[in-house]
Amino acid sequence: MSNVLRPYLSAVRSTLTAALTLESFSSQVVERHNKPEVEARGSKEVLLNPLTISRNENERVLIEPSVNSIRMSIKIKQADEIERILCHKFTRFMMQRAESFVVLRRKPVPGYDISFLITNVHSETMLKHKVVDFIIQFMEEVDREISEMKLSLNARARTVAESYLTAFTS
Amino acid sequence: MSFRKIDVDAYDEDVLHESELYEPDPRDSAQVLSDTKQQQAAVRNSLNKGDITGALNIALDSPPYGLGVEEAKNLALQTVVSVLNSTKATDIPNVLRSLAQNEQDTLMKYIYKGMGMPGWGDVSGSVLLGWHEKLTEVAGTGCIVRVMTDRRIV
Repeated sequence: MSNVLRPYLSAVRSTLTAALTLESFSSQVVERHNKPEVEARGSKEVLLNPLTISRNENERVLIEPSVNSIRMSIKIKQADEIERILCHKFTRFMMQRAESFVVLRRKPVPGYDISFLITNVHSETMLKHKVVDFIIQFMEEVDREISEMKLSLNARARTVAESYLTAFTS
Repeated sequence: MSFRKIDVDAYDEDVLHESELYEPDPRDSAQVLSDTKQQQAAVRNSLNKGDITGALNIALDSPPYGLGVEEAKNLALQTVVSVLNSTKATDIPNVLRSLAQNEQDTLMKYIYKGMGMPGWGDVSGSVLLGWHEKLTEVAGTGCIVRVMTDRRIV
């Protein structure tokens, strides 16, 4: 892990660990319903203060805890137009397959690129530190993945342009 | 408007209001503002003397919270950030160990608030992340849980 990213990821890790103290909580409004309170927003007392962790304006994480669920949204670093397109395609690809990722949300929260929704069911069936590890690993990989894709895209564009322009040299 | 879209629970007689979640500050908003200004001046004095622990103690004492004191809140955040920015990285653990638990919690609140508004004033992400890491080492994740559950938002 690169040294500049480490404090950021460790802050996310400790905040996520602190937020992942969930319990089963039935809806206060509808009988025999049990919904993630962070999405339902039924009452104020079960929602805790949302926390933001940011490195700079373009790279931040929002963690919204509640009594039986937490929602975590990531804003991925996007330096230029190509990275913006790649990031959009990449997150869209994953969110269309959200059920294979279990904790992934199908739509990001406005202002962010990708969101996770972890409920008490997830924290009961999976190990808490593994869930945290998964998300931290995801955050590490996504930056690397996007910069790799950008490099291969540029290399490909260069090769295409060269082979196209050889037709005009004689 | 369709009657089905009316949120009938909001008209319930025992509905919970924002103001019932915490005890309001006994001081009125003008008093809070003048207190915060005094704190800022005292903090500058301590910083000039090089007394970081003293400055942080003053800055974290009775922080403004609740509704209607936005100006005082911004001033207090500025004060705390100025202390954080002028501390050497090697001094941080010793300063943190000398704080009481409620002061650690208040400092954590300000760190999260500062990170929530990047680019505002002289808030810098890397400085706050450094403090966050050290504070979590000293005070544990319980400190973060107390920030999440405390309704008295600074």
